[in-house]
Amino acid sequence: MTRALVLLVAAVALVSRAGAQQLLVPMDDAQTNHLKAYGLTFSALKAGMKAEWLLNYRGGSFLLPDTPELRRLAGLAGISVEGADGTRVGAIRAEIAAGNMDAVPLEKAPKIAVYGPPDTLPWDDAVTLALKYAGIEYTAIYDDEVHRGDLSKYDWLHLHHEDFTGQQNKFHLGYRDAPWFVEVVQKNTAAARRLGYPHIPALKKNIAEQIRQFVERGGFLFAMCGATETLELAMAGLNVDIAGAFADGTPVDENADAKMDWKRAMAVQGARLEQSPFVNSMSDIDGHQVNVPGRRQPLGAFTLFNFSAKFDPVAAMLVQNHRSVLSDFYGVTTSFNKAALKPSVTVLAFEEGAPWVKYVRGDHGKGSWTYYGGHDPEDPQHAIGSPPTDLSLHKGSPGYRLILNNVLFPAAKKKPLKT
Amino acid sequence: MKSHNRGFWLSALGFGLWGFACLAPGIIGAQSREPRAGSTQPVSDSLAFFRALDFEGAGRHREAAPLFRQALRTEQRVSALLGLERVYAELQWTDSLLAPLAQLIREFPGEPVFRAAQLRSLQALDRQDDVAAAFERWVREAPRDPSPYREYARLLLQRGQAVRADSVLLRARRELGAGGELHLETAQARAATGQWEESARAWRLALVSAPYLEQAAAYALAPAPVPVRDAIRAQFFAPPLLVAARRAVATLESTWGSPANGWLALKDLPPDSAGAAAWLDFAQRAEAEERWTHAREAFGAVLRYQHSPEVALRAAVAALNSGDPGGALAIAPLTGGGADSARVARTLLPVHVRALAALGRPSSAERLVTSYERFLTPTGRAALARSIAFGWVRVGDMGRARGALSVAGPDADSSDAAGWLALYAGDVASARKLLRGGADASPELALALALVARLKVDSAPALGAAFLTLARGDTASAATALAGTAERFPEVASLALYTAGQWRARRGDHLNAIPLWKRVVEQYAMSAEAPAANLEWSRALTRGGDRTGAASRLEHMILTYPQSALVPQARRELELLRNTMPTP
Repeated sequence: MTRALVLLVAAVALVSRAGAQQLLVPMDDAQTNHLKAYGLTFSALKAGMKAEWLLNYRGGSFLLPDTPELRRLAGLAGISVEGADGTRVGAIRAEIAAGNMDAVPLEKAPKIAVYGPPDTLPWDDAVTLALKYAGIEYTAIYDDEVHRGDLSKYDWLHLHHEDFTGQQNKFHLGYRDAPWFVEVVQKNTAAARRLGYPHIPALKKNIAEQIRQFVERGGFLFAMCGATETLELAMAGLNVDIAGAFADGTPVDENADAKMDWKRAMAVQGARLEQSPFVNSMSDIDGHQVNVPGRRQPLGAFTLFNFSAKFDPVAAMLVQNHRSVLSDFYGVTTSFNKAALKPSVTVLAFEEGAPWVKYVRGDHGKGSWTYYGGHDPEDPQHAIGSPPTDLSLHKGSPGYRLILNNVLFPAAKKKPLKT
Repeated sequence: MKSHNRGFWLSALGFGLWGFACLAPGIIGAQSREPRAGSTQPVSDSLAFFRALDFEGAGRHREAAPLFRQALRTEQRVSALLGLERVYAELQWTDSLLAPLAQLIREFPGEPVFRAAQLRSLQALDRQDDVAAAFERWVREAPRDPSPYREYARLLLQRGQAVRADSVLLRARRELGAGGELHLETAQARAATGQWEESARAWRLALVSAPYLEQAAAYALAPAPVPVRDAIRAQFFAPPLLVAARRAVATLESTWGSPANGWLALKDLPPDSAGAAAWLDFAQRAEAEERWTHAREAFGAVLRYQHSPEVALRAAVAALNSGDPGGALAIAPLTGGGADSARVARTLLPVHVRALAALGRPSSAERLVTSYERFLTPTGRAALARSIAFGWVRVGDMGRARGALSVAGPDADSSDAAGWLALYAGDVASARKLLRGGADASPELALALALVARLKVDSAPALGAAFLTLARGDTASAATALAGTAERFPEVASLALYTAGQWRARRGDHLNAIPLWKRVVEQYAMSAEAPAANLEWSRALTRGGDRTGAASRLEHMILTYPQSALVPQARRELELLRNTMPTP
């Protein structure tokens, strides 16, 4: 009797599974809104549903439960979806099993924090622009929240513009009298005093240290533009005066390069600081040096590496795309000189023949980090005051997809490596 | 990796070539490129410059070059140097200009034209370090002169190095005090670095001495984001009143999509020639963009300063088109046309006839036309007849309207005007035939054609009455009448209801427009008008502050009509409502 019951339950489960309709969200050129497709997947996870990320299958497609609500959301956002019954799902799985593809379960919507000043508009930052457009929830945090230990509440942290050396990206060279710049300096100085630091560089280095510890404890960090380079400098220079006199009242330690403790940094080693307050560059980490006229390098195109989905799923997730060669774009930090990267760093995207790379990742402690050079993938020469990018005109932006890959990556269930 | 090495070697070779050119004595190098003396007749020094200009004008740059060089020895050396710069640039021999320039600078160290040409030439050769060194030399040798800062800053701006340009200008301010004469360059540098308010302040100062830069100022400030625009306006409106600054802000307002604010920037200018010129420019732009109220006000301002028959006529047309026929008659009276009756018949008469018709005085219009009958061409007469016919329509006398057209001959009687009269009378069959020939691409004609094409009957007096009411200017009653035809003519019900809603919304009566669109959506959900009615309904809700209701309406529209051509627009409006994208 018991055996019969077990068999019946198993049979019912099998039948219901075989007949279950699923929703395939293609991410190749059949997709009409790639960016919102990430938001749809995030919504499914947020609602407690399970999803799968089909790495390298049709541009990194998603498999979601076929529910009326998800269909409604897809219809509203103009996201292409395809109903997939048991037979079709079986065929997809067979195709995945036979090639450099894999299905990664996505289990839980990550809790996302974006580090930035409270009065920043979402349009100032490519990540918040993408999150807003895709409909992915996030919490904006800044120095006060980090200082009181709020980072532990989040799975994923994004940094964008911040200069963690506390030198305001050396914008004093061009903007010292600009009201917005004066206001930024005033607010940061007030925050430093409020939190018990003598000046902005001391505050920012402490914040950088807390971010390092966040990753070490298992957090996911995604940084773009100038935050990548300055975070590395701030971590390695925790006990060194690396800020110019205009920022902390004392000149840079003349032996700063020798005193940097690169073991503390996550990605970089042996970089040289740009000590001149009159040169708008932080170090030789950035390959493009956009704000230094004599050193500025032209933009080219970068290529995404093709990783093994089955053996290197993390890197594979981060490069899922329907394009493999993307146009480059400037930022305060545009790229990372290969010579300055630690051997443990995984290069995700590179420029053919260039001494720099665009997109890198690595592990640190129990967590991991990703750095993506540049400011706005759809505005290659973004300048201060430029109008915000309208993502409804770039619904299939391959550059923005890389950002959103990072957002979903922490939702993936960790599978034991097959090696 | 290989391609990278190749790039390096190519640039190294390039450097070597430039190095060679620099090391070789410039004069020898240049002479070796130019035609030998035998190729042209010897020319005296005094004539060399003019002969060089002739050759340059004829595109014979190789022959112009030695003559310009010869003229460097004369009093025309400055013009000759500029000529030489031009032809060398054409010949791509700019490197050869450096040696004669160096010699000229040694001989005439106080001449800024030579120094500026040196900076330009080095810039053209991409020798950035030499440009910077030449600039520093110039500053050292002329410490109180703003020219080196100006020229160097301009070059940096041309290269897109706005931050460096700004630094040069700041240095000039430190060295020379008070900004000297560098407002233009400061304004450009600040705009290029996104310091919009500071840029506006500098533009304002630049416009004091150079009012012709007004368009440049407007062009440079046009990309300023919305939050800083008030600060820019404040700079240009600051006392004392500066006409060029006001003109710049008027252009900016137009670019920013608020031309009404543009007129506010100009209307209180003092009535003098500069003010009148600003008003006239604004009026002409408004006229071209069919912003008739603004055109009328601006032309009116010009007339108050100085009367001109031509401006009066344009002001009257603008008044008429803006819905003020009485004003049109007053602005351009027939007596203003002088004694030339033929000219009056060509210019002022059509305006007066249209105005009288619009005022519901078609008899007066007819009498006026009769008094000028002998000066009219058949085409002109037919056009006037159409105006008179619409005047009769307006006062409700359809018989006399038709009579007015038939009196004017077959041209008028078979026109789209006749089609409209047929429609007003409910004669769908005739309207269908006559309206098709209408040259006017107005939305009203498109609507009428859509209705008569879909109607399955040849006679629809109720529908005609609705359009007649609209022609008489009673939009609200016309909307009610049109909506009333929906039951009777199911084949056009959705279009009639949708249009009635639009007529009501046009008057700002969104409250009564929504039920009409609601009927389209609910009773005629499969009609072509249903998605459009949904969209209009949502917009009306947004205007009323009900963003949630508007969003759910848009959602309904997108999900119900995924194939509609209006879906992309609906998605965009939904994004804006949800604040998931920046407001345009």
